[in-house]
Amino acid sequence: MTEAGSKLFCNCKANYRGMEPNTNVCPVCIGLPGALPVVNRKSVELALAASLAFSCSTPEYIVFTRKHYFYPDLPKNYQISMYERAGGVPICRGGRVRYLDIHAWEWKECRLRRINIEEDPGKTVYGEGGILRSAEAYVDYNRSGVPLLEIITEPDLGSAREARQLVEYVLLVLEYLGVTNPRLEGAFRVDANVSVEGGERVEVKNIGSTLDVERAINYEIMRQSAILSSGGKVERETRHWDAERGSTRPLRQKEQEEDYLYFPDPDLPPIFLREMVDRARSLAALNDPSALFAQVVELGVSKEMAWSLVTTRPALELFLQSVKRGADPQLSARLIAVDYKGELREKNRDPYDPSSWPATEYVTELVRLVKEGVYTYDAVKGIVLPKLAENPMVDLKSVLPQRAENLDSIIDEVLKREERAVKDYLSGKAQAMNYLVGAVIKATGKKALDPRAIREAIEKRLGRGS
Amino acid sequence: MKSREAWQELEKIREGRDVVGHVEEVLARVEKWEGEVKAYISLEIPELLRQRGEELERRLRKGEKVGKLAGLLVSVKDNICTTALPTTAGSRMLDGYVSPYNATVVERLLAEDAIVIGKTNLDEFAMGSTTELSAFWPTRNPWDLTRVPGGSSGGSASSLAYGGADLSLGSDTGGSARLPAAYTATVGLKPTYGLVSRYGLIPYGNSLEQISPMARSVRDVALLLEVIGGWDARDATSLRVGSPVFSLEPAEARGQKICLVKEMVEGAEEPVEKLFWNVVEKLSSEGAELEEVRIPVLSKALPTYYTIAFAEAASNLARYAGIFYPSKGSSGIWEEYVGEARAKGFGREVKRRILMGVYALSEGFRDEFYVAATRVRRAIRDEVLKLTRRCIIAAQASPILPPRIGERLDDPLKLYYMDMYTVVANLAGVPALVQPIGFSHGLPVGIQWIAGPLEEQKLISLGLLVESLTGLAGVMVD
Repeated sequence: MTEAGSKLFCNCKANYRGMEPNTNVCPVCIGLPGALPVVNRKSVELALAASLAFSCSTPEYIVFTRKHYFYPDLPKNYQISMYERAGGVPICRGGRVRYLDIHAWEWKECRLRRINIEEDPGKTVYGEGGILRSAEAYVDYNRSGVPLLEIITEPDLGSAREARQLVEYVLLVLEYLGVTNPRLEGAFRVDANVSVEGGERVEVKNIGSTLDVERAINYEIMRQSAILSSGGKVERETRHWDAERGSTRPLRQKEQEEDYLYFPDPDLPPIFLREMVDRARSLAALNDPSALFAQVVELGVSKEMAWSLVTTRPALELFLQSVKRGADPQLSARLIAVDYKGELREKNRDPYDPSSWPATEYVTELVRLVKEGVYTYDAVKGIVLPKLAENPMVDLKSVLPQRAENLDSIIDEVLKREERAVKDYLSGKAQAMNYLVGAVIKATGKKALDPRAIREAIEKRLGRGS
Repeated sequence: MKSREAWQELEKIREGRDVVGHVEEVLARVEKWEGEVKAYISLEIPELLRQRGEELERRLRKGEKVGKLAGLLVSVKDNICTTALPTTAGSRMLDGYVSPYNATVVERLLAEDAIVIGKTNLDEFAMGSTTELSAFWPTRNPWDLTRVPGGSSGGSASSLAYGGADLSLGSDTGGSARLPAAYTATVGLKPTYGLVSRYGLIPYGNSLEQISPMARSVRDVALLLEVIGGWDARDATSLRVGSPVFSLEPAEARGQKICLVKEMVEGAEEPVEKLFWNVVEKLSSEGAELEEVRIPVLSKALPTYYTIAFAEAASNLARYAGIFYPSKGSSGIWEEYVGEARAKGFGREVKRRILMGVYALSEGFRDEFYVAATRVRRAIRDEVLKLTRRCIIAAQASPILPPRIGERLDDPLKLYYMDMYTVVANLAGVPALVQPIGFSHGLPVGIQWIAGPLEEQKLISLGLLVESLTGLAGVMVD
């Protein structure tokens, strides 16, 4: 939950990125003797909103649980997490995610088993040679205590691609709720449980991107199938995803369930959710990507473009604002979701940063100009958008293709002068038109004119225009 | 036998008595007794204490406002974090550890101009009832140096009993402040769970314990509780109540309803019994109403208490791996390093409790032990709350007189049995006061009063009444 502001149980920052090691710490998050955790309510509210967004049955109150295991980056040697037994009460039990399959353009459903709120451990950094060969290991506790949502699905996913789409959609929902910024380093991790018919379940840990979700699962399916088809047995185990090599390797055999000695954290009394539910519910309702997608499609925008808008929130906001102020939905969608977004990509600008996008008035104005035939769409796309993408704050007038004020009379003049070319054109020599357009532009003495518009004007003049 | 109450010292200081003189007086007591009693693990440098005294004197002379505890010397149990002195919790594991922050209660003491004189000895991580299980040395009982002062706040109790502090902070998980009070003729009040912030108390059994004011009189205990009590944002289990303010009017015996719970009265050895009934009958003859009741579920109080406390302790102590605190291990392999650090750093009793706690929480045993104990605990609390709605509960403080040093060390069950009357208040989360009622063969005997949640006032009023009957306010050894 990168956007929770502070860590789950203290006032250190939830977003530790870019900080010197061990500078985002306090007695609570490094577990000094006598320090006590106090829940950051915002984390709970965000988690509750996520639970509601995924149709969970939410309890009257939640109870945090201690989960014990010894590890150098876990300062208390227990993690404050959630558990459904021994007196613990997780924030969500039994929900579902409806996620969009963007290949078939249909909604699919995956059941959720549980959502836990828990604290992240610190980070172990190895010296040269990595985890296997380095003689040194360094621990950075900046991340220790950062709030995490652990979302556990039921085994409802049939393919690696489905798994990836589910993860992408879940991240989108969480981003809309303001829970996380999935593009931040280490904002999410995925553990995938993969089993092929005839074998045991294998857990793959350390998957750090949505692309790798698909890659890791496909690799695992392939690996397990190969073992089975050659008569081998797939044992229950935990494996580690190596993104660089694109393969998994064994981490530990799971002979039995580890004993985490779960019990409710006596330092944290139950937290009643009643006061938070209304706010969380409206947060979830106002930020539902599926509803927003439907709203855009309803306006006549294609599903592809609608999805492109929804997956880039500043683009969607800009689109909705523009349409609200009367801009044509289809044109706006095309301009924002396809061409401007494309320009941003080309210029390596962050489409998720609202400041990469122009003001609503720019969009409404451009769409109006195209709609009223003042400019062609191509002129806007080819001349205006690249300049805007460079500097969305630039004065719009300064990047609009200039129009010669007495264009009609200039055209008349040129046509009179270039009788020969006119004749050629009228007799079927298409390339003569290019010459005429060039002559007109030359006659105006200006460069930033829209050639397509001039061509159209000439054709009209010659009685060929559509 | 001498008598000295902290509030009297405070009045003298307010009336112009020099603070340094008071500091010297207490230091003289330390000089006289500490060598044999060994109540302190660390003592503040005398010169610094004198300087603090001079500072306060200057402020008093200028007519500046000073805090409620100005010039009083307070000893602090060594499981309560302080920045000025190390905090060891009586364990080798934390030998030399200096906390980078002060416990909330210490902040509040300092804000009221109290002077922290030193950190007192305790059974390792407060696990024990005699203060013999300190990793450093046993503390002796000033009333009889061959005997224990009780535990685990034995250092605090002894420091008071010989006049080496005006007030003291102890902690009470299952009687750790009250048992030593009973054994040293001092007063210990275990507050309602949540009245005093636990922030900065090194936890043993989080759901049971409270930092507890200890002193030589009921009035002094009330004074200290007024300073340390009240809500603290840093402790999620602290109650949303302001600092308590107590009336110092003794209760009237007439109309006082006292319940004698058989399970908490019977079973004590004879001299203890006798003194207990003396006081109860005296109160009755002065008009208090006595009622005898039974709470059969209390027969399970001790195993219930120990199951919960050990489970919480096993978890709390997981963090001591020799990583953040002075290193204990030597091997370069992490698993071995941690194993060695814990093997060397923890004492026998601590290890025993960790093992039993882990057992009680293990998959397959958790329902039978930990979960079952939490259920019995609720039943006990319900019964106690039912009773405290209509009366104050009178109970023994300890089944025995202070044992000799070494006497109870070999048999853990005998040790646990010493807490049989005190654990009930911790399980129920209600306040309980232990105060002296007399001596048997020169050994102090105490009585315990238990009231409903946040009814500390009732305990204080009754305690003042009992003090007026026994005349045992402020007592300390010569």
